[in-house]
Amino acid sequence: MKRHHLLVIVAALGLLAACTGGDEDGGASTGETGATSGPAGPVTLTMWHGYTDAEAASLDALLAEWNEANPDIRIEPLFVNNDKALQKLTVALQGGEPPDITYQYGSSLPQLAAAPGLVDLTAWTQQPEVNWEDFVQGARDAATFEGKVLGVPALIDNLAVVYNKTLFDDAGLAYPNDQWTWDDFRAAAKALTDPAEKRFGFSYPMDASEDTVWHYHPLLWQNGGSILTEDGSQAAFNSPEGVEALEVLVGMAVEDGSVFLDMQNSPYTGLFNSGKIGMLVTGPWDLSSFPDVDYGVEILPGFDGDHQTIAGPDMWCVFDNGGGRAQAALEFIAWLTAADQMKTDALATGHLPFRLSVIDDAAFIEGFGAAFPGVDVFAENLANVEQARPVLAAYPQVSEAMGLAIVSAMLGEKDAQSALDEAAAQANDALALAG
Amino acid sequence: MDRFRRFLVSDHAAGWAFILPSVVLILVFGIAPIVWGLILSFQEAGLISPEREWVGLDNYVRIASDPKVRQAAINTIYYTVLFVPTSILAALFVAQALNRRIAFVRFYRLAVFIPVVTSTIATGIMFLWLFDRNYGLANWLLGKIGLGPFGFFEDPDQAMIALVLMTVWGWLGFDTIIYLAALQGVPQELTEAAAIDGAGRWSSFWRVTWPMLGPATLLLVVWSTISAIQLFDEVFFVTKGGPLGRTSVVVFYVYRLAFEQGLGALSLAGYAAAIAYVLFLVILVLTLAQFWLGNRIIHYPS
Amino acid sequence: MVERPRRRLLPFDPWHLFLAPLSLLMLLPMVWMVVTSLETEAQTFHFPPILWPGTLRFENYLTVIRGSAFGTWFWNTTVVTVAIVLSNLVLCTLASYAFARIRFLGRGVVYLLLLATLMVPIQVVLIPTFLIVKELGLLDHLGALIVPHLASVFGIFMLTQFFRTLPVELEEAARIDGASRLSILLRIVVPLSLPALATLAVIQFMWTWNEFLWPLVTILTNQDAFTLQLGLATFQGSHQTQWHFVAAANIMSMLPMLILFLVAQRYFVRGIASQGLKG
Repeated sequence: MKRHHLLVIVAALGLLAACTGGDEDGGASTGETGATSGPAGPVTLTMWHGYTDAEAASLDALLAEWNEANPDIRIEPLFVNNDKALQKLTVALQGGEPPDITYQYGSSLPQLAAAPGLVDLTAWTQQPEVNWEDFVQGARDAATFEGKVLGVPALIDNLAVVYNKTLFDDAGLAYPNDQWTWDDFRAAAKALTDPAEKRFGFSYPMDASEDTVWHYHPLLWQNGGSILTEDGSQAAFNSPEGVEALEVLVGMAVEDGSVFLDMQNSPYTGLFNSGKIGMLVTGPWDLSSFPDVDYGVEILPGFDGDHQTIAGPDMWCVFDNGGGRAQAALEFIAWLTAADQMKTDALATGHLPFRLSVIDDAAFIEGFGAAFPGVDVFAENLANVEQARPVLAAYPQVSEAMGLAIVSAMLGEKDAQSALDEAAAQANDALALAG
Repeated sequence: MDRFRRFLVSDHAAGWAFILPSVVLILVFGIAPIVWGLILSFQEAGLISPEREWVGLDNYVRIASDPKVRQAAINTIYYTVLFVPTSILAALFVAQALNRRIAFVRFYRLAVFIPVVTSTIATGIMFLWLFDRNYGLANWLLGKIGLGPFGFFEDPDQAMIALVLMTVWGWLGFDTIIYLAALQGVPQELTEAAAIDGAGRWSSFWRVTWPMLGPATLLLVVWSTISAIQLFDEVFFVTKGGPLGRTSVVVFYVYRLAFEQGLGALSLAGYAAAIAYVLFLVILVLTLAQFWLGNRIIHYPS
Repeated sequence: MVERPRRRLLPFDPWHLFLAPLSLLMLLPMVWMVVTSLETEAQTFHFPPILWPGTLRFENYLTVIRGSAFGTWFWNTTVVTVAIVLSNLVLCTLASYAFARIRFLGRGVVYLLLLATLMVPIQVVLIPTFLIVKELGLLDHLGALIVPHLASVFGIFMLTQFFRTLPVELEEAARIDGASRLSILLRIVVPLSLPALATLAVIQFMWTWNEFLWPLVTILTNQDAFTLQLGLATFQGSHQTQWHFVAAANIMSMLPMLILFLVAQRYFVRGIASQGLKG
């Protein structure tokens, strides 16, 4: 009898102990309070990142190089899925133990701005070894919130056209070129569509997420429209320019039937790779998913010769955990984002370089394009990044409203004007609420 | 001292010792949350941040004017009204069919029951693929009999119906088992007596069998209604509330408010809790009404 | 008894005409999944759908296991499910026996209180339970999945009902002989209750194996703690839907439940039917 009781108690305790586990971000001790001066002694910094496969291998190689050359500042990486990085950071901040360095989406900046311990980098960017002006404009803008620099550019990509050369050849069409208009694009998409074969000329993300919206922004901007008014207080996308831009997409979807409406926003890669889609507007991250396609890359078509595109920048954020760790972290980040390391990483992963000095290095770009077919076009396309999405706390709601409008218009449920008007009203409410 | 020793070996001590671990666990994870949920509904609270602000009935008032809550409520009602009768009637018919001694009946029963053990995600994946607008088997088969390609989950007007089809498929076995058990409890003498009296098959069913299925039907109506109102997994995984918010049901909206939006700057966990409580009240009232109504129409076997 | 003459239009019972297609319909989604899991990616995107792929690519299954965290998900789900089922069997048996057989102070009130929790729908307790689990530091670990489910009210209710149906004379005889409550439970009641315990085990197994919402909410970012359902949900989507791999993963995740069902059908049916017959 007693044996049974004891056994149950021991088992229960053991189970409970095993369940709670340990804090997996171990290593980020807070050390001494205060101090933004140099580290007192050897430090180990935690670095959260979302890289996988080849990207992770490249980062690991760079870290090994750094750790060997800098025994006093040891960097310990931890994989955190990028989609969950903000969530995880919030939880860590709750427990008072943020990482030293974390990778975050640029769109998270307004929420990060309020995080305690986030290091304001504005002064640091003035240091010569950082060479801040060398970063492309879009990357610098995306890391700046209300005048303060709160992150260091980590990754940047942009949207361009990826097309299936074989399908173009079979249809007897000329490949896209850098003079194309959206009318040319629409005609090509129509010619490539074959209902019997279930093949579409174009595909568009239709899950009403930010993906749906940021594919529309370039058209809006090219046509002279803008998302919000100058002061950022009202929606401006339902202008005639905005409606015209949306009507291009709506025309293709509703009238031509040339668009694969990707409601799940995921089958498109498999479909493109299987030759069921003629053209995509996407970024360099998708290229590795198309091993079976002879693809080409071209800059976006334009309105009136305006071929600007949109960039999606991510960044490294640094948190001050005392003991000079922040300073050490910044030393590391400056090295990581320097031109040499950028080139090494780019050649290993296909990541776009986002320093003007690297982009202007013709020899490098040639080698880069040879290693990753098509990526050179994306790299050069960075020069076409002129505007950025508004960095506002209310942007997610604006985006949500726009997403629903685009989807309902492309499904033929509403016409472009009324859809955008409705979205503008919702966006204005959200903007007013955010104050 | 003697009293204490007697207590220790008494039934009271034994009883409590036996139930203590369970009661403690259920207290912490079952009862405390119910109370805390109510408290939360009177606060403005974030999920991660510790700030709590007492706002009284503000959250409840807000529910009345929130168009998204209204849409969620309408969607939930639409789903429930489609799902409950369909699944119960289908189960009744199938149970009748399975309540026979014919060849392969064991196999048929197995086939009908198996979907019950598949998870909502597994089922969701199967139906996403089956109902794929361009490459799915469903549109191909339907095309063979001349029915146009359907958008199913991708069409704002069809998505909810597609969800109903999927969930009826998943629950049919469960409902059928209950009806089968009830049918097998109908004494054969009664049906035979009706046959002797010259009653046709249909009227024999209606006059004899159906009344005996009262309790089972009531149970299924209550159970199906409660689970229909709480639909979540399928909406989250298959349609994500879309397209265009047409399948966003109440529990999905609650989840969104608390766990997707409430983590960052906006504190919405309290509001979500308020919505959850209102839903609870609705379920409670509905269930009581169903039981009351049911008990009035059902003739219980004496 | 008058035998009504039957006019047979068909050489077999006409109900087969309904039941056979119905069975096909019920099994079709799974069968189709199996077929898809053995195709190449190009074959999945073929229209009209290829009904028989020719060569069967069993290696899709290996690719899924090797190329994703499927093994981790499977292991996690197994650990969580086994822990919960065992714990339920122990704790619910103890508690139910007390409720059924032992007269103790507050028995009625506590039992009713426990039952009342069955009435409360999940969305009400979802957020507060999350907060409690967070306070206990269990978030993002398997503990968040296991600890709240160590004892279930459903189990207690079911077993209490069952114990009450057992003839009480055996136990009374043992009591007179001076046996303790615990030994009566273990030596007399449990052996008589194996079918009920098996039913509870099987039902609890199914619920835990298939659970989605609770893991979704409590396993935020720790991918090492993902269960099968969570893993499957992320596997499909996020810009990459490779149906042949998704199908293989799906089939593998369903197999344990299917096998368990085929082996222990009786207990599944009994478990579900018992909820109906309790009236």
